[in-house]
This record gives sequence, C-alpha cells and structure tokens, in this order.
Amino acid sequence: MQDSVHILQQQVTQAFNDQKPLSIVGGNSKNFYGNPLDAQTIQTTCHTGIIEHEPTELVITARAGTPLSEIEQALAAHHQTLAFEPPYFSSEATVGGMISAGLSGPARPYRASVQDAVLGCTILNGKGEVLRFGGKVMKNVAGYDVSRLMVGSLGCLGIILDVTLKVIPETTAEATFIFKMKPNQCPAFMNELRHQGYPVSASCHFEGELLVRFSGGNNEIESLNKSLGTNYAYIDTRQLHDSGFWLDLKEHSLPFFSLDKEDADLSLWRLSVAADTDVSSLIDAQTNFISEWGNCVYWFKSNSQSELIFNTAKNIGGSASVFKTNNDAVTNRFQPLSAVVSNWHKELKNAFDPVDILNRGKMYVEF
Amino acid sequence: MPDTKKRRQLLEGLKSLLDAQYILSTQEQLKPFECDGLSVYRELPLVAVLPGSTAEVQAIIMLCHDLAVPLVTRGAGTGLSAGARPHPEGLLLVLTRLSKILDINPKTMTARLEPGVRNLAISEAAAEHCLFYAPDPSSQIACSIGGNIAENAGGVHCLKYGLTVHNILRLKGFSMTGEEVVIGAEGLDSAGFNLQSLIIGSEGMLMVITEITVNLLPKPQHTEVLLAAFDDIATAGQAVSNIIAAGLIPAGLEMMDNNAICAAEDYAHAGYPRDAAAILLIEIDGSTTNVEEQLKIMREVLNNSGLTALKIARDDNERALFWKGRKSAFPAVGRISPDYYCMDGTIPRKALPEVLGFITALSDEYGFLVANVFHAGDGNLHPLILFDANVPGQLESVEEMGGRILEKCIEVGGTITGEHGVGLEKIRQMPLQFTDLEISQFHAVKMAFDPDDLLNPGKNIPMLKHCQEYRALSRNLEPNRLLTQHKTVE
Ligand SMILES: Cc1cc2nc3c(=O)[nH]c(=O)nc-3n(C[C@H](O)[C@H](O)[C@H](O)COP(=O)(O)OP(=O)(O)OC[C@H]3O[C@@H](n4cnc5c(N)ncnc54)[C@H](O)[C@@H]3O)c2cc1C
Repeated sequence: MQDSVHILQQQVTQAFNDQKPLSIVGGNSKNFYGNPLDAQTIQTTCHTGIIEHEPTELVITARAGTPLSEIEQALAAHHQTLAFEPPYFSSEATVGGMISAGLSGPARPYRASVQDAVLGCTILNGKGEVLRFGGKVMKNVAGYDVSRLMVGSLGCLGIILDVTLKVIPETTAEATFIFKMKPNQCPAFMNELRHQGYPVSASCHFEGELLVRFSGGNNEIESLNKSLGTNYAYIDTRQLHDSGFWLDLKEHSLPFFSLDKEDADLSLWRLSVAADTDVSSLIDAQTNFISEWGNCVYWFKSNSQSELIFNTAKNIGGSASVFKTNNDAVTNRFQPLSAVVSNWHKELKNAFDPVDILNRGKMYVEF
Repeated sequence: MPDTKKRRQLLEGLKSLLDAQYILSTQEQLKPFECDGLSVYRELPLVAVLPGSTAEVQAIIMLCHDLAVPLVTRGAGTGLSAGARPHPEGLLLVLTRLSKILDINPKTMTARLEPGVRNLAISEAAAEHCLFYAPDPSSQIACSIGGNIAENAGGVHCLKYGLTVHNILRLKGFSMTGEEVVIGAEGLDSAGFNLQSLIIGSEGMLMVITEITVNLLPKPQHTEVLLAAFDDIATAGQAVSNIIAAGLIPAGLEMMDNNAICAAEDYAHAGYPRDAAAILLIEIDGSTTNVEEQLKIMREVLNNSGLTALKIARDDNERALFWKGRKSAFPAVGRISPDYYCMDGTIPRKALPEVLGFITALSDEYGFLVANVFHAGDGNLHPLILFDANVPGQLESVEEMGGRILEKCIEVGGTITGEHGVGLEKIRQMPLQFTDLEISQFHAVKMAFDPDDLLNPGKNIPMLKHCQEYRALSRNLEPNRLLTQHKTVE
C-alpha cells in the first residue's frame, strides 16, 4: 500500500517541460497490445493499495498499480466479483492496465463490460494535473463522463491513478454444457436460451461445438440438466465438468491462441461484429477460429495485410484489430477511423495531452 | 422579437431548407418551447424548427455553423435541469417529428430508432418479440430516446439493468460542422477511444444525435413486486443496505416517504398504506426457480429489518398498479402544491438515513414541505420541495434549500446529479464537486468537439470566472477540501 501520486506527478511534469515522451507501464502483462513504444517508461507499480472497499455499497476503489489479483481476492472474501471477468495475461496484471486496455472476459455480453463497471477515476493528464472525474456512487451525470472515456484509451489520454468500480455479488452455482451445432446456428439458439430465462453467463463456439456457461442460484443450476435435456432433446448435449475452460479462454491459454513463430508475419486477429453477421468473407469454414460473446467476437490467425482485413471487416459492418503479432513492424493494429472521428481523437488527445507525451502512437501512429 | 440581421439571414436560409409550417418564429409560436420541464428557466429562441428528416437536420446544422448561430437541440422537453432551454440568440432544433422506429431485430435483440421515439414506445414495439428496453424513466410516456441519451437517463429498473449508457450500441448524428458521424457499432465494441460513453450524458453539447441503436433484453420469465412498509424512514433506509448486503440485486428498489405515499395514493389508488412512514417497492425477476430463491432470501432480510407490513402483488394488474403509484409520484405531488422543485443528488446507500434526516431538518428550517421519492437501490434521491412560485421570495428560498441538499450530497461522497443533468439549474454547484483544473479539462473536451462553442452553449460546465463566486456563495465549500476528505478515508 503506497501513495506515489507526487512521484508520478513529478515525472509527468518533467516530461511535459522537456517534451519527452513517456511509456506508461503497470505489470507489463498487456504490453503486447497496441503499438510498441520507444520512450522512457513511467512505472505505476509504485502506486498501490485498495483505498476503499465497502461491501454493502458494492463499490471498490484502488490505486492503479494494485495487482488485479489483490482486488479479486479482497472481493472474493465478501463473495463479490468484477462482473466483466478481466483477463490477466500474467499474474503481474494491475488495475490501471485493466482499465487502460479495456478488455473484458467471457461474461461481457451477459453481465457488463469494463466501462460499464467504472464509476469514477483520478488521472494525471499530460500536463501533470491531478484530476478526479465521476465518483463512487452508482449514478452520476455531473460534467462529461471522462472516467469511462479512459477505458480502452491505452494510456493516450492520461495516467490512471486510481479507479472506482461497481462490483457484483458472486452467483452461488455454475455449470457448463456443450451443444453440438454449427456456428451459424448459435445466435438463434443463444436467443432461445435467453428467452427461456436460462441464466447464461458465457458462450463460445470452438471446434464444432457450442459451450455455454450458466450461473445462478443452487436450485436453478441443479435443475438445468433435466430442463435442457427436455427442452432441447434434439441437440446432442453433454455437461462439461471441468470449469477450467473459461479461464483458459479468458487468459488465451488454449493452444489455439499461440502464434507459430515460424511465420514471421502471423497475427492473432480479433473481429467484432453484430451477432447475426455473415463473416464468411473473412473467416471461411476451413479457417481455424473461435467465436465468443454470442457470435459478436471472432478470433482468427492470419498473415494477410492489415488493410485487406480492415476493409473486409468494414464491409460487413464490423471492426478488426491485431491483438498480438509476430511482426513488430505492424503499426496499424486497430480498425482505421472515419475522418471526423479521427479528428475528434486528435483533438481529444490534444485536450488531455497537449505536448503529446503519453503513450504517443500506442493506438494510432498519428497521435 | 428583435429583427436583427442575423435573425433575418437565418430565416432566409431556413426557408430554402424546410417547409414554412415547420419554421416557428413568432412569439406566439415560440412560447410553448420557451422552457423544458423546469419551467422556472425560460427564454425564447430566435427561431425553432421541426425538421422531418436527417438530411434537413444536417442542412440546418450547417446553416447555423455558417452563420455562427448557437444551436440547442430539444427532444420532448421533459428535462428537469433546463438543458433544452433555448438560447436567446440561437436556433432551437426540435426533433419530435423524427419519431420512427426504424428497425427491431429480434436476432440481435436490438432496435434502431430515430431520436424522437418516445422511451415507452420502444418497449411497446419490442413486446411483439418478447423483448423490452430496460432504462425506464418515470417520464417514459413522453421523453424521447434522444433526450435519454443526452442526459444518460435512469429509471426504476436501472439497479439491475443499468442506465442508458449501459444499453446503447451505436449512435449516428452530426458534428456542429454538419459532418455525419457514427459512434459505436452494432457489435459490442468499436475501434478507438470510448467516445460513446463521453457523448452519452453530454447534454447535447458535443453532437446532435439522429439515430440510436439500443440493446433489448428478453422479458423475464417471472416477476414479483413486493411492497414493504416501515414506521420509520431511517429503518427503511437501513433495509435497503441490508438487501444489497445479502447479495440480492433486485430489478427495482424504490423508496417513498409518507408525503409521497399519500400524494401518490390519492392520485393513483395504488393500495399504498397511508399510515406508513416509508415504503419500499421491490421488484425481483428472473427464471421461476431463481425468483423463488431470491424471494425466500428477500423475505428473511425484510423480516429482520423491522418492517411493519409486507404485500406481494397478486397478479400483473396489481404489479402494474404498485408501479403506477411510484411512476406518477411527481404529477401526484404536483396536484397538492402549486409548484415543486425536484432535486437529484446521489449518495452512497449507507448515508441514506443521515441525508434524509438532514432534509427533514431543512424542511423544518425553511418551512417547506418535502416529499421524498427515490431510487433507493442506487442511492439516487429525489426530494420534491413543495412551494408556491407566486409568493415573492419562495423560489429563491427553495433554490437555496436545494443547494444545501446538494452540498450535503457531495459532503457524504455523492454527486449533485444522478440522472437529470446539470443543465443551467445545477451549474452553480459544479464548482463544489469539481476543481478549477477539472472544469478546465471539461472545457477542453468541449472545444475538441465544438471549437466555436455553438452547441448548447452555457450549459453543464460553468465558466471558470464564475467558479470562485459560486463557491463563495456556498459558504466556501472548496472541492479541494472534499478531495482531502476523500484522502483521509484511506
Ligand atoms: C415527471 C418527470 C419524471 C421524470 N423521471 C425521470 C427518471 O425517472 N429518470 C430520468 O433520468 N429522468 C427523469 N426525468 C427527466 C427527463 O424526462 C429526462 O432527462 C429525459 O431523458 C429527457 O428527455 P427529453 O426527450 O424530454 O429531452 P429534452 O428535455 O428535450 O432535452 C434534454 C437534453 O437533451 C438534449 N437533447 C435532446 N435530444 C437530443 C438529440 N437528439 N441530440 C443531442 N442532444 C439532445 C437537449 O439539448 C437537452 O440538453 C423526469 C422528468 C419528468 C418531467
């Protein structure tokens, strides 16, 4: 537990005066995400500790450098959890990195995203000013919602100093079932399950099978076997008793996610689309892929030119990103923005970081 | 109406853009648009227009941009913070004619809407597919989805299902330069910064929204509504904390005090107990088995929280009736007093008893009756201060009393507005919640989107030069001091 606001503030002020770029680093667990930076590092791991956890308020506030594991342990002690199941990618993962990367886990479509859970945060902007936005209450519309803007901004708008998150009670029981079906049958089936009131908390299509996780009360989960068997007798269904699958999926530790180093141009791509999108122009039946979030996210590997994939993604109304790559030279990792939106990004960057020192070029090379 | 050159140019330009009947420019025509739901702030715009297509909206924005005319967007005008109050030298863009539901897609469980679609109309149209749109402000019969986006509206079901910001996928609209913009996507995320969260709740100051894609949810299989009565308001407040502490997240958790109960009962005949000091309205939903499990725990918690009576709605009719009482509480209070002033502070739940006690003391001090009706599960208070604006001095006293309630909300770690927005009404309290540096950062955000400050200027964020003044008026409650308080909790 250590408050190092002043140390961090000094470093940013110095960099602002010298106009020297900084690379913000927490636990280094998600450094692969976004463009590589060549700049002096500023470490948030000196700024740690849970500032406040009020179990009856369903709220926790922690400093950016606090290990994510510490937060989850503190919550678990009160049978609470983060609704969005953040991936770690290394045991060193910090709260600040979680917000800045903005990545949510398997429960995202059924519970919440990272930004859904953010209630407030304190940041250091590129001028070294300490600013607090939002708060620690459930509803707050005073001023612009800058705290949620920080989510997924990859450190380009400010250094997150602390964040206040809404948490949820843990559900008491959980079960995973496997249904044999084709990917294009999944959206309708998932809708059907939700209309029937099944407490779906995650879904993934992998190697010809749909895996669905259900979370709820004890009786509700115990009765699943019988009720799914009756309602969907026509589908080949079985229960998966090893719940480790969801952890492996979230942490990308399934063998699917590793990149074969032989292919120097190979990248792991993430495609985000509407659930009913025909993705065949991008991912044909032969390609090895994983879809999750009720067919709203597809993971696949490719060594094609980024532009090609971005264009196809755009044509089907989605967006693609290079999640990780063997080729460090790839600098266009995120779906290009429209002209107006790109201009708003530049202006916002300028509003928060006028001399362009914070994670310059981490998301888009232009800012 | 001043016959200025700018006004003439504007009217001239508008003539070629839309049908004359949709250009309102006489005092008589403009009168109905002089205020939103907070009628103490009134102003006539130079002109009001009611476009019938997004192409017309775009052309109007471009004209305003070219002539440097301030533009205020208006939805249904039910806002409670004067957010849509017209600008005296500006144009009022009224979007009520853009009220088409463009598409409901049961496969993706989404709806695509024009901004003037009424909130309730979404759930009504989605019902055919057994879907509903969760955020349900009490004004849902009238308020528009565009206004909901601009205010990040909440409702009685937000405890479980989230606010507007949690239920939106994509926004389309125009920048103040008239360029078309798409924010968000039909999938669950999109590239770049999270602009959508920034725009939602920005009170029409960053862009004009002309199309919204919302998330719909399957109607829960089973619902129960409970009405729990208490003979003491602090006990009811504690019961709210106990419910959350037991790990329950009801779909709705609302509280009303005796003044609100009696007014609502007279108006809606909802079957509320007139002799109760406070009631909690609690909705539980989910699968049948799950609701049974929750109900069992809920009964235990309530029995151990000192309730005096418990009613469980028998059927859909009674459930609707219980909610009707709550949702009509504002107009019901409106019947028993010439005017009322609605506050919107939000506090940590555990501070409910303290703040409610404080409000009672203020009510005695100022001599104004207060009816409390609020989203207890979220800690979002709506004290309604009853007064008569025709009695000289009363409005000023009420505003002062309201200001003190908001200061108290900040003091206990809360905020001046949970869902109604800052608008013009709470702009004086902004410097109590934010430092000058934070307010400057807000201005910089605004400049990034609208460098000429033409979109709804003067709302939401106070001018820096006024901040010290406002703080002085409010007994020098400095935000820095508040920050230090925050630190000492550590
Ligand atoms: C009886 C009553 C009960 C209420 N209950 C609730 C409640 O439970 N929860 C709640 O949150 N609110 C409540 N409200 C407040 C109000 O209904 C909401 O703020 C609502 O979202 C406003 O919608 P509107 O269409 O009336 O917007 P307006 O009042 O017309 O405008 C509100 C703001 O939105 C901007 N705006 C409107 N449309 C657009 C657009 N298309 N693009 C950009 N900006 C736009 C305007 O400029 C203005 O700043 C209540 C109001 C009343 C009168």
